[in-house]
Amino acid sequence: MLAAMDIDLVGLRAAAHVAGFAFTDAELEALRPGLERAFEQLARLEQLPVAAIDPAIQYRML
Amino acid sequence: MADLIWASMTELARMIATKEVSPVEVVRAHLGRIAALDDRLRAYITVCDESALEAARAAETALASAVPAGALHGVPIALKDLFETAGVRTTAGSKILGEAVPSADATVVTRLRAAGAIVLGKLNMHEFAYGPEGLNDHYGHARNPWGGVEARIPGGSSSGSGVAVAAGLAPGALGSDTGGSIRIPAALCGITGLKPTYGRVSRAGVLPLSWSMDHAGPMARTAADCALMLGAMAGYDPADATTSVLPVPSYVAALNGDVKGLRIGLLRSFFLESSAPEVRAAVEAAVKLLADQGAVVDEVSLPHLADVPAATMAIIGSEALAYHAAWVRERSADYQRDVVERLRAGAFITGVQYVRAQQLRVLVRRGVDEALTRRDVLLAPTAPITAPRLGEREVSIGGVATDARSALIRFTRPFNFSGHPACSVPCGFVSGLPVGMQFVGRPFDEATVLRAADAFQRLSDWHTRRPVVD
Repeated sequence: MLAAMDIDLVGLRAAAHVAGFAFTDAELEALRPGLERAFEQLARLEQLPVAAIDPAIQYRML
Repeated sequence: MADLIWASMTELARMIATKEVSPVEVVRAHLGRIAALDDRLRAYITVCDESALEAARAAETALASAVPAGALHGVPIALKDLFETAGVRTTAGSKILGEAVPSADATVVTRLRAAGAIVLGKLNMHEFAYGPEGLNDHYGHARNPWGGVEARIPGGSSSGSGVAVAAGLAPGALGSDTGGSIRIPAALCGITGLKPTYGRVSRAGVLPLSWSMDHAGPMARTAADCALMLGAMAGYDPADATTSVLPVPSYVAALNGDVKGLRIGLLRSFFLESSAPEVRAAVEAAVKLLADQGAVVDEVSLPHLADVPAATMAIIGSEALAYHAAWVRERSADYQRDVVERLRAGAFITGVQYVRAQQLRVLVRRGVDEALTRRDVLLAPTAPITAPRLGEREVSIGGVATDARSALIRFTRPFNFSGHPACSVPCGFVSGLPVGMQFVGRPFDEATVLRAADAFQRLSDWHTRRPVVD
C-alpha cells in the first residue's frame, strides 16, 4: 500500500502504470488530494481485528 | 386529472381493477404532465409515450375480458435509466451508452410488466450511478421540485426517480442504491424509498456500479406503494447468483398500521448527533410520535462506522473501475468530470485494501445484527442535511463547514456495506425542504421495515405534501 508520505506525482504515475493506466500529470494532480486523504483512512483498516475473518468477496446474506 | 396524478399506486390499481378509471386515462394524464413539466424538471432521459399508450390500451382490453393480470395492472411506473429495457435505449445517464439498446428487459422490469405495470420511460441519474448529488452533464441536471426559484439538487444517484415521483410525473419508480442512491433522493425530494436486503431483488440486467454493494428497489410516495412494488419485484432469479431462495412474503399484508410494542433502536451516536439541528429536531419529533403510539424506543450505537467511508471507497472504487476500465483507457473524455475522477482513483486501491474492506464488512454486519437482536428496527436520519443548492460544494452542519457529497452519503452507505434493508420516509420540512429518516431492519425482514414506515405514514402527513411545480 502507498503510505501518505509517498504520494507524489512520480509515485502516482508509476502506480497508475503498474495498474495499466496512463493518466496525464494534470489528471494525477487532480486526484492527489483525495488520494492522500483516502490512503490515510485506508491505513486504519490495517489496525482492525479482521485478520482471521473471511472477506465478504462473494457476499450473500443467506 | 389531478386525482389521477396524485393517486397512490395502490389507489390506481384499485380504480383500474374496478373499472372506475381506464389505464389509458391514467397513462395519458401522466404523459401530459411529463410533456408540460419535464423540460424544466429533467426527470426523464427517454419518454416511452407510444409504447406506454399501446400497453395501456392492451391493459384496458385485457380487463374487459378477464381479471387484472397482476397487482399493478395498468399502473404506470418509470425506470432509472440503468435498468435494461428491450428495444429502448439504456444510457446509465452516460454519453458512452447514449445509443445502447438492450435486447432484453432486466429481470425486475420483466416482473413488473408481468404484474401489469406500464413503463412511462427511463429516468435521469448521476452518470453511471457514481454520485449522490444526482448531477448529469449529458442530459441536464434533474431539478428538485421543492427548490422553488432556487435550483436545488434532488440527490442521487436515482435523481430522476426522486423528481418524477415527487412532482407527479410517475406514481412510482425503480431506483438503485450503492451508497444511498434510492434513499438520498427519496429524502431530499420528500418521497419514500426502500433499499431491500442484498439478495432480495435481482440485479440481472441492471448496469452495475459495484457488484457487491448494488441494490435495486422501489421509490414511491408511500410505504404501501413500495410494498406493492417490492412484492412484484422480489425473489430468487437464476440470472443473478446473489439472489436468495428465501420465499417472498406478502409485504402488503404486513402493513397493519400498528406500532404498539414495536422495538425501535434510535441511532443517536454517529447519526442523530452529527445531523443539522433542524434535521435532528424533525427526527426526534417523529420518534416521539411513534413512542406516543406505543413504540418502545431506546438508543443504540453501531461499531466501526468511522472506517466505513474508506472501506466503501476501496470496494466501490475497485469494482467500478473493473467494470469501466476499457472506457477509462479509451473514452475518458466522454465521462463527466467528477465521475471519471472517481473512477481513476480506483486504480490506486490495492488488493490488500480491497480484502481488508470486505473483511470489515463482516464486522459491521455483525454489529448491525447485534443491535437488531433485541429490536425490530433501527431508526436514523437518512441524511444530515436537506437538499443543497446546485453547485454548493460545502454545507454547514451545526455551524461547521462540511463537504456536501460526504455528508449526503454518510448515513446511508453503512447499510449498503452491511446489506440490511432500509426505508427512507419523509419526517418533516425545514425551510420548505423535506427531511427524511430511515428505518433499518433485519436481513430479509422488509415486511417489518415497511410496516414501521407505513405505520408512521398513517400517523403523519409529511408524505402527502406536494411541491408547487405547475
